[in-house]
Amino acid sequence: MKEPTSMQGSTRKALGPWLRLMGERRARLLFGALLMLATLLFAIGLLTLSGWFITATALTGMTLAAGGAATLDVFTPGSGIRFFAVGRTAARYAERLYNHDTVLRLLADIRGRTFAGLSRLSGRELARYRAGEWLNRLTADIDALDNLYLRLLAPPLVGLLAILVVGGILALAMPALGGVLLAIMLPLWVIVTLGMAVAGRGPSARRVETLERLRVRALEHLQGLAELRTFGVLGAHRERVEREQRALLDDQRRLGRRAALGNALVTLTVQGAAVAILCLALLAFAAGKLSAPVASMLPLAVLALNEGLAMLPGAFVQLGATRTAAARLNAEAATSLRDEAEGSLTSAEAPSITFEAVTLRYPGMGTTPALEDVNLHVEAGERVAVLGPSGSGKSSLAQLVVHAFDPDAGSVQLAGQDLRSLAPQALHSRLAYLTQHTELFHASLRDNLRLGLPVDHGLEEADVESALWQALWIVDLDDWARELPHGLETWVGEAGRQLSGGQARRVALARVILRDAPLVLLDEPLAGLDAATAVTVAERLDTWLDGRTVLMFAHRRDALPRCDRALVL
Amino acid sequence: MSRSQAQTSARASRQWLAAQSREVRGWLSLAIAAGVIGGLATLAQLGLMAWLISAVVVHDTALVTLWPYAVALAGAVIVRGLAQWLQETSGLEAGLRVKADVRAQVLDQLAALGPVHLAERHSAGSTAQLVDQVEALEGYIARYVPQATLAVVLPLIFLGVAFSLDWLAASFFLIAAPLIPLFMALIGMGAQRLNEQQFQAMTRLAGHFLDRVRGLTTLQLFGRTRQATEEVTAVADDYRRRNMKTLRVAFLSSAVLEFFASVSIAVIAIYIGFGLLGYIQFGPADQLTLFSGLFLLFMAPDFFQPLRLLAQHYHDRASALGAAEGLRTLLSQTPPQGPRMESLGSELDDTVPLRARLTDVSVAHAGRGRVLGPLDFVITDGEVVALVGPSGTGKSTLLQVLAGFVDAESGGVALRTETSVAWLDQRPFLMQGTLAENLRLVAPDASDDRLREALIAAQLGDLLSALPEGLDTSLGERGLGLSGGQASRLALARVFLSDAPLVLLDEPTASLDPDSEQRVIEGLTQLAAQGRTLVIATHHPAVMGMADRVLRLEAGQLHSQDAPASSEALS
Repeated sequence: MKEPTSMQGSTRKALGPWLRLMGERRARLLFGALLMLATLLFAIGLLTLSGWFITATALTGMTLAAGGAATLDVFTPGSGIRFFAVGRTAARYAERLYNHDTVLRLLADIRGRTFAGLSRLSGRELARYRAGEWLNRLTADIDALDNLYLRLLAPPLVGLLAILVVGGILALAMPALGGVLLAIMLPLWVIVTLGMAVAGRGPSARRVETLERLRVRALEHLQGLAELRTFGVLGAHRERVEREQRALLDDQRRLGRRAALGNALVTLTVQGAAVAILCLALLAFAAGKLSAPVASMLPLAVLALNEGLAMLPGAFVQLGATRTAAARLNAEAATSLRDEAEGSLTSAEAPSITFEAVTLRYPGMGTTPALEDVNLHVEAGERVAVLGPSGSGKSSLAQLVVHAFDPDAGSVQLAGQDLRSLAPQALHSRLAYLTQHTELFHASLRDNLRLGLPVDHGLEEADVESALWQALWIVDLDDWARELPHGLETWVGEAGRQLSGGQARRVALARVILRDAPLVLLDEPLAGLDAATAVTVAERLDTWLDGRTVLMFAHRRDALPRCDRALVL
Repeated sequence: MSRSQAQTSARASRQWLAAQSREVRGWLSLAIAAGVIGGLATLAQLGLMAWLISAVVVHDTALVTLWPYAVALAGAVIVRGLAQWLQETSGLEAGLRVKADVRAQVLDQLAALGPVHLAERHSAGSTAQLVDQVEALEGYIARYVPQATLAVVLPLIFLGVAFSLDWLAASFFLIAAPLIPLFMALIGMGAQRLNEQQFQAMTRLAGHFLDRVRGLTTLQLFGRTRQATEEVTAVADDYRRRNMKTLRVAFLSSAVLEFFASVSIAVIAIYIGFGLLGYIQFGPADQLTLFSGLFLLFMAPDFFQPLRLLAQHYHDRASALGAAEGLRTLLSQTPPQGPRMESLGSELDDTVPLRARLTDVSVAHAGRGRVLGPLDFVITDGEVVALVGPSGTGKSTLLQVLAGFVDAESGGVALRTETSVAWLDQRPFLMQGTLAENLRLVAPDASDDRLREALIAAQLGDLLSALPEGLDTSLGERGLGLSGGQASRLALARVFLSDAPLVLLDEPTASLDPDSEQRVIEGLTQLAAQGRTLVIATHHPAVMGMADRVLRLEAGQLHSQDAPASSEALS
């Protein structure tokens, strides 16, 4: 990936949409940060008050031992110490609980937003993404954003506020001390946030990419094991895997060392500041400007800052990785934003389909088009089979009709209207498309089927029920479904895996039937069905298809229900 | 899994992790040593700070005369910073080395186990093991392991110093410190189960999201994307509500730690204060001074710090144990041995030498019983053998035995000495990279001309000439997508590039259209013409037609051996 010219600019651009999304929960975020700050302040209060108390009691004790007269109210500081001790525990517990609730709310927001972005992707992009490791990458990217608030937003803010509060306490005792502390700690704060982000920018952004390449190589290695092993070239490919791993480990080493340097710097600076404040406070005491108890409590307040700053270097050195993840998610959602037309189909009747001089090219195939100068007219209510071997462009033809993408040249028209002028909703409500690839959802059989119903079906539940069974009858699954122990509530596994290939195919077909659309596209509707079932389903489909405009796709004509004519690609 | 089994396997995982950390004990010792030095420097720093305050406040010493102590104080702070850096980087190095080492072990093991054992697991699952599970080990080795020692050693050192100052104050530490692990263990046991539930719920949540993303095309076609978006948010929100219950308990452990750390500081501060005032008439309280009192107070937060860090790294341990479970199981499987290499002669009445001999071979799969055999036959050099029969009858298993991916349970499999094997199956292996890289994988030194010849022999000549970038065309996610038939022919081109005398093909023409099928068969005929031995598992009559011999398998046994013509008559 290209190095951005301005990191701040590109970080804002990448994280901006997500920060705005989080901004909708501003009040919660702020309250969570306040709880964090409260925890830290209770810790500071506990140590500081204890230091004051011990010094004060020591001095009073010495006076008393020397026979002098002295009084010290021990109960107020005593109860103060107890208050801070209990308060710190309570604040910590409340803070963790509240902030995790917030993070889980953000997780729901982020997923919803990402999904909304992805759902606008065009068919061509989705097809490209389906391959490979895209889903894994998507999960990893979303996970990186889930923790944005808890790692990168609240802690630096709380750390900064804690520095200002301790600076304020010191300034109350003696203004110069507050000034010294801010002069030491504010630059440290900048170094452990912005400085660490800059130090980790290259390797942490690269690490994300390298991890993904390692994943791809590892998957290749495993999928190709049979060939790689028999050809005796396992070692050569393994070297590719190891190369990616070495690059990953090198970047992780760089990041780890830089974070360690940042952590050591925090220790060095906070402890050094405590020592410096101690010496200055003692000098002020000797000059009579500070009391002894106050002089000995101030360094303790400084020491307590360590807790507020210790986590920052490790989090910020990885900022580049979060930014890369966010930028990638932005890009994936943004590529899809094509202008959506507004037009609607004028008639609810079965439409005609017209291809006028359509040419389609796929990237990577150079000059060879997938479809070249295709002219085709299907009358309203006509049933046409499109035949041809795999790779001859059948699926491309179907994808053009459902407007998954635009042709490179020519036009596709439905009832005489160019698809480019139609609103996606208007088009999708008129068509039912059985894709070559069967997609069932991890949900009940009923929910999978109901997905096919028109969005605004307006049917009574009883009518929906009878429609479901009618569709199941057409695909000859009604008896099977009735005998299932859980009937239509049967859970259909991941990608429909608990069904056989043929059953999954028929459930998908039933879903298409439920759509009750005037335009129907069926890609290999009878594939994977045994001969007897295929005949039954073909007969029942035949009746159902009457009066609709139908395009069917297959290798051979005998694999399809009855049709008016056939085209060979 | 029963409870005792779960415990046994958890123990085995802990032992496996311990064995891995022994490999880097040098780095880990360095990390621990640095941690101890850092702890000692911390003690020195805190002691000197208390001493300075006491000297100036109680003994009225002028600060300027104390400059050597101030210098020592600065020195202690610097040592502390350096020690912390050394501890972190040494731990990091240990973690990175373990990852590299375990990945090498896993790669070795996957290679040895071969594709058949691997097929029992999902390939995405094995990738996750190789990538993510190995990554999960780093935090444990780099941070948890050194901290586990330091969380014992450092509090003990602090305790020793505290005892020398005031045994009563020290005993507050002593009481609080062991109580913390005790309470955390009690809560941890409950939290562990809750954690597992939470992990499952998280997996289901991720599963739901990915499932809907995977089916986006369908959702778009049915106009249901808005509804699905709402559902995705609703499911995540439901997950949140259910999980807040678990978190309420899980966070108790950190609250307990916080409580003891805070209360100890409070108790010690109040005890010292009252002791200094002379209100406490028993024990060592009358010996307390400003120095010892402040030193004890300064020490209190750092006494608990190693334990708090350990608690922070606790999730590293949990994820490493989870990963260890899977990795350990993978690494403990026994790989197959493969066929024997023998100087096979020729059969008595034949002058053609043998390529392979199977004697009483049978193969069993766990849970399925015997899937193949007993089989007894020979394959002569240069022969083309078609394996036919209904699916599930053992054709693929027979090829896997010959390739050495599966061992025969009994009987002997022998190949002629120095027989290398070429393999081609239904799902050819494509690598991200150019066409040339995909071919050179099997013949790294082949010239471009040889690659072109191989592509032409595999009937991919017309595709090659249609590609503007020719051999340098990229394949894979962002490049050219090959159709199933083209990918099969690319795999065939690899076979042409290798000089393996024995070629094993598993359904090379499955799911191809008739035209692609014919082209692949032409390629195979050319291979046979080069004098190679071909063993082809197939359903297709056209492939059987080119074979010298058709072996019909039924229920794992040899049903008949025929010349192709009569086999067609049979079927």
